[in-house]
Amino acid sequence: MENSLPSSPTRLPVRYFDGQSSRPYEVDAWFEGGQLHLHSADIDRLVLVKRVQWPERTTHGPRLALLPDGGSLQTADSFAWDSWVQSARADSIVVRLQQSWRGVFLSVILLMALATMAYLWGLPWAAREIAQRIPDSIESQAGDVVLRQVQGFTQPSKLPEQEQLAIELAWRKVLTAHTLAQQAKGVAVRPTRLLIRDSSIGPNALALPGGVIILTDDMVRLVRNDAQVVSGVLAHELGHVQKRHGMQMLVQISVLGLVASAVWGDYSGVLAAVPLWVGHAHYSRTAEREADAYSADVLHDAGVAPAVMVTLFERLQLFKQCGRSVLEPQAVRSGSNCKKDKEEPDGDDNGMWDLGFSSHPSDESRIAFFRGSPNVQAK
Amino acid sequence: MSNDNPINNLKIEFTGSGSEYFRIWITNMFLILVTLGLYWPWAKARRLRYFWGNTVVNGDPLGFHGDPKQMFKGWVLVAVLIGLYNFASNFSETAGAVAFLVLAALWPALWRSSMNFRMNNTSWRGLRFRFAGSLGDAYKAHLPLVLLLPLPFMLGYWGPQEMENPGAMEMALPFIGIVLLSIALMPWLIWCMKVYQHRNYAIGSLQSDFRASLASFYLVAIKPFFLAAFVLISVGLFIANSFAEAKAGMPSQLLMFLPVALILAWLLFLLGIGPWLTTRMQNLVWTKTGSLVQIESGSLKIRFVSQLSFRSMFLLSLKNGFLMVITLGFYWPFAKIATARLRLEAVHIRSNTELDTLLAMLNKGPEETAGDAAGDFFGLDVGL
Repeated sequence: MENSLPSSPTRLPVRYFDGQSSRPYEVDAWFEGGQLHLHSADIDRLVLVKRVQWPERTTHGPRLALLPDGGSLQTADSFAWDSWVQSARADSIVVRLQQSWRGVFLSVILLMALATMAYLWGLPWAAREIAQRIPDSIESQAGDVVLRQVQGFTQPSKLPEQEQLAIELAWRKVLTAHTLAQQAKGVAVRPTRLLIRDSSIGPNALALPGGVIILTDDMVRLVRNDAQVVSGVLAHELGHVQKRHGMQMLVQISVLGLVASAVWGDYSGVLAAVPLWVGHAHYSRTAEREADAYSADVLHDAGVAPAVMVTLFERLQLFKQCGRSVLEPQAVRSGSNCKKDKEEPDGDDNGMWDLGFSSHPSDESRIAFFRGSPNVQAK
Repeated sequence: MSNDNPINNLKIEFTGSGSEYFRIWITNMFLILVTLGLYWPWAKARRLRYFWGNTVVNGDPLGFHGDPKQMFKGWVLVAVLIGLYNFASNFSETAGAVAFLVLAALWPALWRSSMNFRMNNTSWRGLRFRFAGSLGDAYKAHLPLVLLLPLPFMLGYWGPQEMENPGAMEMALPFIGIVLLSIALMPWLIWCMKVYQHRNYAIGSLQSDFRASLASFYLVAIKPFFLAAFVLISVGLFIANSFAEAKAGMPSQLLMFLPVALILAWLLFLLGIGPWLTTRMQNLVWTKTGSLVQIESGSLKIRFVSQLSFRSMFLLSLKNGFLMVITLGFYWPFAKIATARLRLEAVHIRSNTELDTLLAMLNKGPEETAGDAAGDFFGLDVGL
């Protein structure tokens, strides 16, 4: 680079296109007084430097600057161009970042740190805030859509009337105790509606947007009509309703899906779905843990030891081993009758699988939670 | 094929570098994250400028002049539309269907608008391209989709949930039927869209023509069609069968193999059928794109020639796929540059005239200058 004095600015030979014809003009270009001068035998032009759309500095590729009237300057000698342009205008911060490996390294670190923080805290926080602001009317409308789908694959309960009534009464008692305890703290419990349904999905309970809680007959059969355990299960679902997990999950998954498809979507939609899958499982496990904690609080409010929930997980383990025979009234009292095919590795109980993809925390950790729940020890 | 005397071949080179694009990509990704996505149009403009600027035709680079602020408008428009659609479909089936139909009705106009934007903001040797396609033709190009549109709704009404106890075949048949019909209509749809695009690229007094026949598109599609049909039917029956068994209360062994079968089918599409179709389609579409103009000294012929080989495309997709997985997606910018290089450098432009005659054809006519402003106003960049 030659040493240029203010009186004799560096002249760069470039090709000038007027935007009307494909014919290039070989011109000399230089900067003087905030203006770009173009000069040759046929051409003599002045353009304000700041009105030119300058190319960004890259290592590869030629330079092409756009003039306000559609004309353009081009050169393949990028090196000469860059040192020439530097005398008139500085690179933007973005260009300086992306042209230095140190800047890029910094970007990678910051990107990973920010993405991790956004994933662990930012997105759940934002989703929680948004979910809290979605009007109940919209949520219950969404709930109606889901409810119709659920009613499609479930039938009215086949349990004897008085069994259903007993469950509803026990649940109402627990719920009332909990509502009163919350009122004392100035917290309103969201209204819910319990539906007991018969379904082939097995022992399960679901909280729908809008506060409908579905309990399957098989769940009642699984815990052998133990009203306390059923109340614990329903309290877990109440936790989902109270914390608006449905809406929160919807927001989290939408944002995650948008980000994943923006970054990798044009390579492969399936690959872009992997982060979505992992993220869904992660957020779902968090929600389950929150609901478990909520359930323990509700049981505590009603004077029930949260440890009763341990029965549920033991029965669920048994159900996984033995299948539907566990649900029959006169069925096995323990696992001894049913041969343990448990020895062979079962996808659901695989540690690695749990870590990444399972939508619920492992049964062991949930049992440990209810056993060691601080409320139990407080008694 | 014809008795042209090709006296002029224009070479296309791609000079982009993977490591440099990686730096651009990662920095911009960071900025997009920090701005919660608002930086997207600026990042996209930079990406296009990099790819265009490194595409060198006969020694001269392409220029991309898109204004990120203009692109931001399109970005907002699409974000609002998709947001409304998502919102509506979550809260009511009818609202979702209405939103879908509105989006579908707007789509061809947006598609044309984004092609307008692309072409108006692309230059070579200081001359801007144009897109000459009309709005009406953009809608006509989507005609095959109109036939497909009602199918999911029909499935909703007559689908298997009406039946008491659907068996494997009843569960799978409507699904397989829709998939097969979509695949059967796909070449027609793509042909219509390519005809629309490739007959309307213009610069100066040249406007491209597209001579590939509908039959040639079906010929390209026939091999992957049978392969895909075979795979999809097997997987479909497999799923239906597993479902039927699970319903009867039998723990299905088949269900264990389902993920494996799906992954294998997916790999076959990603690494085999995908690159094969890309190769054949690129060669067919570009080699049939050209222009024939009568000038004083006779007729000027110019066309693209694409000679992409499946072997190199296949090897590249293997390499890209492997490195994508082991780098958790960070190889993406390198893969993109490598693919662009392979695909672009397989193409050259052949003409039967001297370069000077050809270049003179590109000069701006007086009638064009008026159209520029309109192009700027209506040209929204909507492609995400």
